[in-house]
Amino acid sequence: MLVTWIVASGVILFARFATRKIQEVPSGAQNFWEWLVEGLYGFLESIIGPGLVKKTFWFFATIFIFILATNWFGLVPGVGTIGWGVQGEHGFEVTRPLLRGGNADLNMTFAMAMIFFTCWMVWALQFSGVKGSFLHIFGPKGDSTGVIKYLMIVVFFAVGFLEMLSIAFRPISLSFRLYGNIFAGENLLEAMSNMVQHPAWAKVVFGALLPVPFYFMELLVGFIQAMVFMLLTSVFTALICTHEEEAGEVHH
Amino acid sequence: MLTPMLGEMSGSIHVGLAGLGSAIGVGLVGMKASEAVGRNPGAFGKVIVLAVLGMALAEAIVFYAIFLVH
Repeated sequence: MLVTWIVASGVILFARFATRKIQEVPSGAQNFWEWLVEGLYGFLESIIGPGLVKKTFWFFATIFIFILATNWFGLVPGVGTIGWGVQGEHGFEVTRPLLRGGNADLNMTFAMAMIFFTCWMVWALQFSGVKGSFLHIFGPKGDSTGVIKYLMIVVFFAVGFLEMLSIAFRPISLSFRLYGNIFAGENLLEAMSNMVQHPAWAKVVFGALLPVPFYFMELLVGFIQAMVFMLLTSVFTALICTHEEEAGEVHH
Repeated sequence: MLTPMLGEMSGSIHVGLAGLGSAIGVGLVGMKASEAVGRNPGAFGKVIVLAVLGMALAEAIVFYAIFLVH
């Protein structure tokens, strides 16, 4: 939790510092923020369409920047290794670290997934209303006439229950994916550091050298998981906020 | 000597199977993604977005198996 506050205040302070005096032609930190925000805006606009992106961009960009910063902060040397501990047989063992990787905790990722779920429901209701959302999930899609139409209504009603199950499962899947990746990465780095035990000099030397390629992999994984979280949440939003009539307008 | 070793497989075979399926799935997505870029090198940006998305969804199954063991 401490890490969350540190990362959040770090990001906010950096953004405030960069926009102290807004110049017409940006340079330095302001340029970096403008590049990031504009890049994300264009990227999301190509995925979920211009109307929806105006309403929801704040959430996706924030979640991307925050998850990326939290993931990368967990790789700073000292996070997870400095803290309170007990004196074990193999020297000092840290049992309660002072700072830990923020997303290596299921509570954190589940909280973010729940916030997304709440926003998602609000946006779905704002977009189609209660009746519209019900029809979107349970209503028949495509046009069919006669007896087939009544059969399709029954089929789509049953499919609607499956879709509700899938919708309910998505936040759990989001939280587990992020938690698993970051926690496994932390474990991997620790296992690599502790691999060579016996000669004391080799333990120090290889304990510092072996994790280095895995640090690069964890940088990449942190970035990819942040991007995947943002992409998946935006795609889910786009799926539930589609107008049904547009499919029929293509034929003329 | 092999038989007693096989006989004492303990507990985590579901994690092994989940890992197998997940790794094969990710590999398939990667295979098709590289094939698509090979056929149309200009579509690299779009293909890589879809590929990363597919890989993340395929990889998530193994996390359920690892962390939902009772």
